[in-house]
Amino acid sequence: MPKINFRVILKFIGLLLCLEAAFMLIPYLVALIYDEGDAMAFLLSILITAGTGGLLFYFTRNDRNEVGKRESYLIVTSIWFFFTLFGMLPFCLMPNPLSIADAFFETVSGLTTTGASIVPDVEALPHGILFWRSFTQFIGGMGIILLTIAILPILNHQGGLILFNSEVTGISHEKLKPKIGETSKKLWSVYVSLITILTLLLCLGPMTPFDAICHAFGAMATGGFSTKQASLNHWDSAYVDYVITIFTFIAGINFALVYRAITGDVKRLFSNEETRWYTFIVVGATLVVTAGLYVTGQNSSLEETLRVSLAQVVTVITSTGYTIGDYVAWGPFFTTVFLLLMFFGACAGSTCGGAKIDRLVVLAKNTRNEFYRVIHPNAILPVRVNGKAISHEVVSKILAFILVYVMVLIAGSTILTALGLSIEEAFGSTLSCLSNIGPGAGATGPTGNYAFIPDVGKWLLSFIMLIGRLELFTVLILFTRYFWKNS
Amino acid sequence: MKIIIAGAGEVGTHLAKLLSREEQDIILIDNDEEKLKELDANYNLMTVVGNPTAFKTLAQAQVHQADLFIAVMPFETRNIIACTIASKLGAKKTLARVDNYEYLLPKNKAFFDSIGVNELIYPEKLAAEEVITALRHTWTRNWFELCNGELIVLSVKLHENAQILNKKLYELTTADSQFHIAAIKRLHETIIPRGNDEIKVGDIAYFTTTPNHIREIQQLSGESETEIHKIMIMGGSRIAIRISNYAPGDMAIKLIESDRQKSYRLAEYMHDVIIIQGDGRNVDLLKEEGIRDMDAFIALTDSSETNILACLTAKELGVKKTIAEVENLQFISTAERLNIGNIINKKLLAASRIFQLLLDEDSSNAKCLALSDAEVVELVAKEGSKITKAPVKDLKLPADLTIGGLVRDGHGMIVTGNTHIQPNDHVVIFCLDTALHKIDKLFN
Repeated sequence: MPKINFRVILKFIGLLLCLEAAFMLIPYLVALIYDEGDAMAFLLSILITAGTGGLLFYFTRNDRNEVGKRESYLIVTSIWFFFTLFGMLPFCLMPNPLSIADAFFETVSGLTTTGASIVPDVEALPHGILFWRSFTQFIGGMGIILLTIAILPILNHQGGLILFNSEVTGISHEKLKPKIGETSKKLWSVYVSLITILTLLLCLGPMTPFDAICHAFGAMATGGFSTKQASLNHWDSAYVDYVITIFTFIAGINFALVYRAITGDVKRLFSNEETRWYTFIVVGATLVVTAGLYVTGQNSSLEETLRVSLAQVVTVITSTGYTIGDYVAWGPFFTTVFLLLMFFGACAGSTCGGAKIDRLVVLAKNTRNEFYRVIHPNAILPVRVNGKAISHEVVSKILAFILVYVMVLIAGSTILTALGLSIEEAFGSTLSCLSNIGPGAGATGPTGNYAFIPDVGKWLLSFIMLIGRLELFTVLILFTRYFWKNS
Repeated sequence: MKIIIAGAGEVGTHLAKLLSREEQDIILIDNDEEKLKELDANYNLMTVVGNPTAFKTLAQAQVHQADLFIAVMPFETRNIIACTIASKLGAKKTLARVDNYEYLLPKNKAFFDSIGVNELIYPEKLAAEEVITALRHTWTRNWFELCNGELIVLSVKLHENAQILNKKLYELTTADSQFHIAAIKRLHETIIPRGNDEIKVGDIAYFTTTPNHIREIQQLSGESETEIHKIMIMGGSRIAIRISNYAPGDMAIKLIESDRQKSYRLAEYMHDVIIIQGDGRNVDLLKEEGIRDMDAFIALTDSSETNILACLTAKELGVKKTIAEVENLQFISTAERLNIGNIINKKLLAASRIFQLLLDEDSSNAKCLALSDAEVVELVAKEGSKITKAPVKDLKLPADLTIGGLVRDGHGMIVTGNTHIQPNDHVVIFCLDTALHKIDKLFN
């Protein structure tokens, strides 16, 4: 076995658990204000989390923060795991507690911004718990590590950078500033300001401030947890639909580009190929869905049909998963269209899930080149994205990524069918969890939930959400032989 | 501070890695994406792919905000052009690595300032100066004078005959002792010793002392001084040419160069030097050319391995002082443990020179000596800075940092726990690479 520095891993876990305990103070305050009997659950959770984290950190505080490749993968995966493990405490300790499998599923779903829920009646939950559920999306949205790097100077060094690279999504990770701490701060300032603006805008509509904050978390983190059973349909307001759609659309763009656009470099945002493809797919899919609704006679007024189609397309492609329309009720064709959108998701470097459009672009161009080479076998054709040639290594990495993505999808679906789900439900839920969307197909569709799935299935889907969020390799590498073998 | 480094060669990379650990914003520019990829993924710095002499690339690296622009590409012409463009685009200070001794002459300084190149460094010249210092003080590994020689930092490799072996440091320090052991290099690691630490055989000890007490240290470490009159140099590099320029008149130099064409060219530059064409690894040739009578042997070929082996051979043949140029940074600590005298590394020299310029920005007067994993820095204590607040023993200095000595009103003195540092003292600090950023907090 290679020499892995486990102490430094424990140190980071300890440190981050302390941070999580600090985060729990906010829902604790909410619970105190509403006084619905869940405050005790938060107080206990805070004590347990802070106690464990504090002890771990205390015993390892003098260790050097040296992080190698192996440690970085272990740290990132285990931090996401332990965040979930301690994050589920409020759900287990509240007055009508959830089972362990349910609580874990709900927490991982929030942190990975999936938004798949097993709670049969959301509105019955106390406000503190509802807030924590939405707040987990905020924490996980930009990434736990990224958040830590932004607020704790302890990670603003080489080790922090390596961790950053194992967590951030997409093929390449653009730096905004030379120091990783600065880059993270910029990204987070964009994220937090957008959430603030969205909350204010939603408050102007029919939502209460509490609902507005929770939905702003859900939209910008592209999670999709709602505080109402009927999700956005509860308000039935064009204003809410438009505001949420616009902001989830922005949440689907690379945050580095959003930051540059805000600071004056708007040209770069629109000339970026990935953003263009993203916009094109959203517009195209909206038109297809609208046309489909007209053909099948399910249309209402043109404005409403267009709005519902657009809102549903954006909420699915950005992996948010609010319920505005119900594609499952519309018919199998619509389900297929939305499952296709789920696969790739939105842009890299955003808060979205899925295989990411930058990979789709490279794959599409590479495939086109392969066809051209059938006729011109000696042609030298690099894959160009944004005018830059992509090396063969990167292309082959992406091909491997897609292959593993599909393999996980097939394996997950197969196991779920063995547990008694229909093919449609099994495939839909696995894809939905892997891409961190939320609604799947059939009974797990936009108006349904995941409560009926057996516990084994819930654990499996929780695991799939986690590997989907960390883009496969970070988690799956831990299950390979060479990770643990010295060679 | 924002620093842009153009050229991810060995100097650029070393400097970027070193500085990225501190509170500096580093941007590294190079044409070669492959070279940058690994640095970008593993170090806390930003990289820009592109030609460092292109306006577009420099604008992309936001050169107008740069406090310092360092051009260390392989060609001096490109370095100078890059600096000119960078300074016209708004870089506050620029530095170019050059290969031409003429550029360094004081009379040309105004010209380079006018085209926007503020500082020039010529690593070969630094290396030659280092060699000459080593030849003057043969018993030391490093010799570093501060404030016109008022305070001296020197390092010695300790052999079995040294008197200070296996004694605790507090036993060595008597009330009137006039030296301070600031750092010990043992195997691959540099240690800042405390009172309870001992010195072992094979350690390289770094002393700070005043000029009057050099003899004392020499005796304690059981070394003796040899006067150098005859030198043999292997490899006709630019460093060799500079050495022949700087060497005092009483030193006779014999140079061995394997390339015939080059030997002829060298003969034009070096008038007082006997040039022998042949392979310096050939022991018979060395014997024939009288290596046994030589006082010093300096190996300066392009290959670090050859240099190390040649010095070992020379030692066996009875040469007292050997100096090897070792350009592979990884080899240095291994080479130091072998019985070779001094190790010269152009990259470390260049990097420490640049580092010194950097410190100059913050503090009025600073000098710096780079070791492979530690630095020696001379700084002026400012009025009201933390270091002047209490006697040294009450300052709670970090464990990876120590104060070697100070110069007050032009007189060097050794720092003990009871010393209270006054504003405007020149203080010599030893610190490991991990502690560099802590210095700033103490002095500002």
